Formats: sequence, C-alpha cells, structure tokens
Amino acid sequence: MGSREPGDRERTIDLRMPEHTQTAEATFLDANEIVLNMGPQHPSTHGVLRVILKLDGEKVMGSECVIGYLHRGVEKIAENRTYVQFNPYVDRMDYVAAVSNGLGYCEAVEKLMNTTAPPRAQYVRVILTELNRIASHLLWLGTHALDIGALTPLFYTFREREEILKIFENYCGARLTTHAFRIGGLQYETYDGFEKQVKAFCDDFPKKVDEYETLLTGNRIWVGRTKNVGVLTAEDAIQLGVTGPMLRASGVKWDIRKSLPYAAYPDFDFEIPTGPNGDTFDRYVVRMEEMRQSRRIIMQAVEKIPDGPIMAKIPKVIKPPVGEYYHSIEAPKGELGYLIISDNSTQPYRVRVRPPSFVNLQALDCMVRGHLIADVVAIIGTIDIVLGEVDR
Amino acid sequence: MDLAQLLAAAKPYLIMLVVVGVWPLVSGYIVLVERKVMADMQVRLGPMRVGPHGLLQPIADAVKLLLKEDIIPSQVDRWVFWLAPVVPVMTALTAFAVLPFNENLFVADLNIGIVFVLAMASIGVLGIMLGGWASNSHYPLLGALRSSAQLVSYEVAMGFAVISGVLMAGSLSMVSIVKAQQAGGVWFVFYQPIAFFIYVVAGLAETNRAPFDMPEAESELVAGFMTEYSGFRWALYFLAEYSNLFVVCSICTTLFLGGWLRPFPNVAALSFLDYAPAALTLLIGAGCLYLTRRPTPKRSDVLILAAVGAGLLLLGLVFAVPQVHQYVNGPFWFLAKVAFLIYFFMWFRFTFPRYRYDQLMGLGWKVMIPLGIANIIATAGALLYLGGGK
Amino acid sequence: MNKFLRKIFMVDLLEGMAVTFGYQHPKHIYTEEYPKQRPLVAERYRGAPRLNINPEDGTTLCIACNLCALACPENLIVVSWERAGGASGKKALTNFTYDTARCMFCGLCEDACPTDALELTQDFELASYTREGAIWDRQALEEGPRPTQYKA
Repeated sequence: MGSREPGDRERTIDLRMPEHTQTAEATFLDANEIVLNMGPQHPSTHGVLRVILKLDGEKVMGSECVIGYLHRGVEKIAENRTYVQFNPYVDRMDYVAAVSNGLGYCEAVEKLMNTTAPPRAQYVRVILTELNRIASHLLWLGTHALDIGALTPLFYTFREREEILKIFENYCGARLTTHAFRIGGLQYETYDGFEKQVKAFCDDFPKKVDEYETLLTGNRIWVGRTKNVGVLTAEDAIQLGVTGPMLRASGVKWDIRKSLPYAAYPDFDFEIPTGPNGDTFDRYVVRMEEMRQSRRIIMQAVEKIPDGPIMAKIPKVIKPPVGEYYHSIEAPKGELGYLIISDNSTQPYRVRVRPPSFVNLQALDCMVRGHLIADVVAIIGTIDIVLGEVDR
Repeated sequence: MDLAQLLAAAKPYLIMLVVVGVWPLVSGYIVLVERKVMADMQVRLGPMRVGPHGLLQPIADAVKLLLKEDIIPSQVDRWVFWLAPVVPVMTALTAFAVLPFNENLFVADLNIGIVFVLAMASIGVLGIMLGGWASNSHYPLLGALRSSAQLVSYEVAMGFAVISGVLMAGSLSMVSIVKAQQAGGVWFVFYQPIAFFIYVVAGLAETNRAPFDMPEAESELVAGFMTEYSGFRWALYFLAEYSNLFVVCSICTTLFLGGWLRPFPNVAALSFLDYAPAALTLLIGAGCLYLTRRPTPKRSDVLILAAVGAGLLLLGLVFAVPQVHQYVNGPFWFLAKVAFLIYFFMWFRFTFPRYRYDQLMGLGWKVMIPLGIANIIATAGALLYLGGGK
Repeated sequence: MNKFLRKIFMVDLLEGMAVTFGYQHPKHIYTEEYPKQRPLVAERYRGAPRLNINPEDGTTLCIACNLCALACPENLIVVSWERAGGASGKKALTNFTYDTARCMFCGLCEDACPTDALELTQDFELASYTREGAIWDRQALEEGPRPTQYKA
C-alpha cells in the first residue's frame, strides 16, 4: 500500500494504466483499458456528479463517484440556527421533492419534543407529501426517458408536475422550496378550493399515466434498453443499505409507510409494488405503480380531512429536552432519516441527515460493472439521485 | 443555336445554381419545421420570437454561425480538419444532380442514377472519418469509427432495399424508374412494402436520426466526431446531415412513391388532383392572411405575414392556370412526398427512445439484411414466374 | 399468435406514435409566453417584501418590534427605531433594511410580524444591476419593485 498522504483515500477501482501501455513504443491504441471521466458537467440533469469509469473497450470494469460539488454545509448550518429557523434549509436538500424533507424534519423535532401534530394537520401533511411523491416520480420519469433518448415524455410529465406545483403554490406560496410544514403542525390553513383542485388533479391523472405507459412500457426499444440493465440483487441491495423504489424493485417488500408508520398513513389503504428482478425496467414499473398508489392515498385522504386545529400546543420557543432521536420517513427516493441531538438549547447540537440518494448512489459501482457505456447513463438515471441531497 | 437549344443546354447549370444557392436556406427552414413539429408534439410552441411565429429563426441562426469565432484546436491536422466538413456537403449536394423533380427537370439523367447516389453516400462517410481523425483526440476518433460502422452497415441494407425496387423497374436510371411506375399505374410501395420498410429504417440509420442516433447523442459521452467543430464548420456538418436527409427521402420517393407522379396517375377521373398545388398554395396564403387578423403586438410581424400571404395567393392563382400544370405539378408532388417522408422521420425521432449501439448493429446485420435478401429472392422469383421465364 | 403479430406489425411502436400524433392539436399547447403573458401567481405567493402602510392616514404599520429580524434565518433584516420621549417611550420606525440578495423567501418574517406590516407580495421580478440595488431600504420596501416593462 505504501505510506498514505493526507488527501489519499481508498479507491474502489485501480486507476493505474497497464504496464504494456507505459513503454516508450506504446501508442494509445495499445491501451485497451481507458479511464473515462464523466465530469461534473453532465448532459443529464442529475446535478454535479463526477463518475470515473474504467473501461475495457466498451465494457465498464469499475466506476467511482466523486461527489461534493454541491456541498453547502447544511448540517453545520443547523448547529447555528434555531429549530424553527432551520426548517427552510431542509427543503434545499432534495430540491425536487421539498415537502418530504420538511415532513421528516418536523416529525423528528416533534418526536424529540414528545408531541404530535393534530389529526387535521396529519391528513393535510399526507396529502401534500403524496402529491410531492408523484411530482418527484414525474420528474424522474421525464429525465430518465430523456437520458435514454425519448424526447417527448419529459414535456408531458412536466405538464402534470405543473399542476401539482400550482397546488403547492396555492397552499404555501412557493412551488419548489415549499417550507410547507411547521414544527407542531401547519402554518397555513388549506385554501378555498384545495380539495377541489386536488380531486381534479387526481381525476385527470390516471389517463396521463396510461399515456406514459403507452409511450414507454410496451415499446420494444425501451424494453431493450432497460431490461437486464443494472441488475441489483436483493442481497446486494440490503447489504449496501439501498432503500426506496430501488430496494422494492429488487424484490424486498420494505416501505417505511407500512413498516414503521408515521403521520396519518395507518388510516389509508394502499399497496407496495415490488419487482422481480431488480433491473432498470422493474424500477421503472415500480415507480409508475407507486404513482398510482399515491393517487389512491390522496383520493382517500381528501375525502375525509378531519376538522380541528392545525397546530399543536407547543411552547413559543422550542427547546427540546436533552436527548437524540432518529426519525425516518419514506421519501420518494428512499429512506430519509434525521438524527437530531439536542442539548436543551434553542439550537440543535447536531443534525445528521441520512439522504436516500447518497446511500443509493453507492450501488452504482455494483450495478454498472459489465455493462456498456451507453448503459451507465441509464443506470445513473434509474437510481434517481438528486445531488442536493447527496452532497447537502 | 436558337433560344430553345440554348435553354436546353443551360438547364442543368441553371438547376444546379438554383439548388446550390437556395438549398442552404431551404435546409435552414427544414430545421425550423423540425423544431416546430417537435414543439407541437411536446405540447409547446417552439421558436416564436424571431419573426412571426419564428419564421426568421433560421436566418438568425445562420448569421450567428457565420459570425462565430473559428476555433481550431492547436494539435489538429489542419488540412484534414478543413477538408472534413466539406466532403459530406459536397457529396450530398452532388447527389442532388440525379434527383428528378419532374419529367425533364433534373441536372443529369445518368443511366446508373441510383448507384450514383449510393456511391455518393459512401463517400460521405469519409467526411465523418476524416472529421474524427483530424480532431486528434481519441473520443471523437472512436465516435467517428462507430458512426461510420453504423453507416456502412445500413448502407448494405439500403442497397438491398433499393435492388428490390430496381428489379421492379428494370432500370437503374431514376427517370426510368418513375416512368416504369407511371406505366404500371401503381406506385411500387404497394408491390414492395417490405422493401419500403427496410429502406425507411436504413434511411433513419443513414442520416443518424433517432432511434439510431447514438453516435450523435452520447457517444463516449461527448458529441462524437463533431466535438471539435464549432461555428460555421459545425454548420456545414449540419447542412450535410439535412441534405443527406433530403436525398434519402427523395430516393425513397422516386423508388417507391412514384416520384413526380400524382396519386393514380393513369386514372383520368382523378385529374382534378392536378389542381392540388394551386389549392394548397391558395390555402396557405389565405391562412397567412387570416393569421394577420390575430392581435400581435409587433407591427413587423403583421407586415411579414401579410406579404407572405399575398405572395402565396398570387402564386396559387398562377398555379391554377392549366397551361402551367405541366411545369408545376411534377415538382409539387415530388416535394410533397419528400416532405411527407421527412415528417415521418421527424415523428419517429420524437416518439422513440434510442437504440444502444450494439442493439443497433445487431438490428442492421441480423434483421434488416436477411430480410432484404429474402425480399430480393422473393421479388425476383415472383417476377420470373409472372414474366413467364423472360 | 397475437403477440407474434403484434411484434411483426410493430403495434407497440405505432401506439406510441399515435400518442405523439394526437398531441399536435393546438388545444394542447401548454406554453405560457412570458413576458407577453404574465403568470397569475397565488395569493399566498412568497415574493418581494413590502412594508405596508395604513391606508387611512399613510403612516407605516410597522411598530419596530424587531420580531422579523429575530425570526430571519439569514439575519438580513435590520430595523432601527427611535423612542419618542425618553427610554421607555413609544417606538417609531426610522429605517428598515432588507437584503433581498440573501433572502430565501421562506416567509418566517411574514409569519412573525404581529401587525401584518411586513408582507411577501406577488412580485417576482426583482432583478437589479448592482449588488447594492438588492438591499432595499424603507422607501424601496414601501414602494415595491418597479420593473421596466419592455414592449414585447
């Protein structure tokens, strides 16, 4: 190994070029192993991710991700803000689906303070979170199809996403960085026409999903590009700590909404889709089905939102007792966890976020070996990463 | 020599001048049509700001590309770097020489017309290879190698499809092929649907369009052989690509869709279709004039639309005169069919994802070529049987 | 047999093509041509801040309680006041500085204000040519942003 310098780190792949290419007579055509850098600037829209690939001709022998281009020090910022002041910062991590981040944080602090939000707030939280899940999966679908070459589904999914973002805007005033929830419940009462708008969206949604399926699911080109590409077995998935639709597509039926329920989820009736093989096609099918199940939850919730207060009785200044609590929720991308350590002051001692994309990204190396370069982009797309979350 | 003979002698040169002079503008407008069709299918509007409904966009793009800084990387092979974009443009425009727009409206009626076009397509591949080599960087080189491999493989398939059409016509000359369809009274696409299908698929691959555009899209995760080309050199490659598209669609029209013939050319009862060019031009002109009524804030937009509409109306009235039909109808039907095919190519591009490179090559060699060979054998056998052993 | 026929005649591809063909009708166009068509934002939209004025007598509604500055995660609000008549007189607002460049429009200041003086309005066109132009003083906050309207 030799001595280690500061800045050295364990590499997962050996980046040294083979011996026979380092002689004086060797030309670049002698090298049959290339190190290719998919730099931080990507044609795909996943963010600033750098992937170093080691190729043998066209086949990928190994890969390594370099992250940190979007690191903003969110967890450190948390140590210098009060609990209420930190709430808007969590939206900026998974910026595609900001409402879930807020839900996880607010619930974690509520658990630390040993309170719960009132039922009305829980129902509205579930509705907004499930809308958020649909929005995240719609964006994933559009960009994933775009990576694989289908140019049009992107615009159709963004059109649906517009409708959801309009609901968010009407409710809390912002489309993307929603800051929708507060510790202890909600800030805003639902607006006039909330139920109507949500129901209108849900009525319109199934036929749009059917359209995406017509364009993609049966299409032989799509199936050829996604079947048996990026297979992740169930054992590998569990070993790596992968969660979310990736885990479910590998056959493991684990969803935190059913296994460790939170908010108002026990009141609703929905199914957890799983896939048999754990390849890209299964992940696609699982996410499409999750969109339908989310719609089902929203339809049930919007019928029976209970009346009552929207904010629990919590002190004006939030000073949780000394202790720590880890709370995780099922974000659209996987298990989003918040560990909050409190020292009975107005500012948390430590906030640690377990981002689903960060853990899922570790599976990239395992999934990409043996595939061709063209598949690498498809596989990165199917993990559904958001760099804001990976780097925080 | 009197005037008629002079005109006949000068005709090839005149057509050549018109094509070479007008073609860059026309291909710019094909790009605009593609962007508008793409936008339509993607529930959005496309270019709208430059000129009314974006009609001046190609001119703005052309001016921008001409004014861009000419960046030549320092380590390239300068001669080859300069030559590489020129070759495909030259071959594509040369292939225009054998396209028959009408019975007597072409630059040259070679008796090996079809083979000439295929030869030009093969030389065009050279432009890609030179471009990749001259860039002195291994990603463009590998992209160029891949792209040329794709083009060469699908040329074989295209050749087989073309042979089937030629077998039906009995001649390699483009004009004779159309005349054979006229004599038969039926377009060859109805006799040779499989050959038509193979030709369309091979044509999509030849022009690097989706679903076969892997070399262009993410080849080695850069732009393939075009990486080091910017500004006007890139515009030349782009021009070559659209010229190629036009040529491929024109060959398809000539071989399978009856060239300059109107639908059912020998059926006298449908001769009112001869008025179709006039009707269409009048309709578009009226549409332009109608659009000027819709409120738009820019006065220049209204003026441009009104001018275009009035011009088209005038043209339509001229087309309606029966004496003009023999000059106008042929090119109109030819261009209409080519436009129809180009629309289909665009439709495929915006609907389908793209094939991976190995799947693409597998499709070419394992599906298209055997199908093409089988089709030739079946066609030849059928012709032999029906022709009574001649 | 059915599957075989579907494969040969490429029914799956044709179905996809039918979907894209159907979307060409102009009624499906979803584009909003900004800046010719401005979006109608929601009532609760968190846009440009504004210091509201009492409509009856034109005085400011702000009572200089400083709660907005304390609530702000970025500490970008600076409120200055003077007390009328000694150390425990009534506070009167003198200046109010709000840095829109660092603001993340989270709405905590708006939530904190007890008199509805500070409000995040529906204006979203906040561009300025200088960094200093993004720091709004009391007058800018009371007037609101005045974006230049270009003839489209």
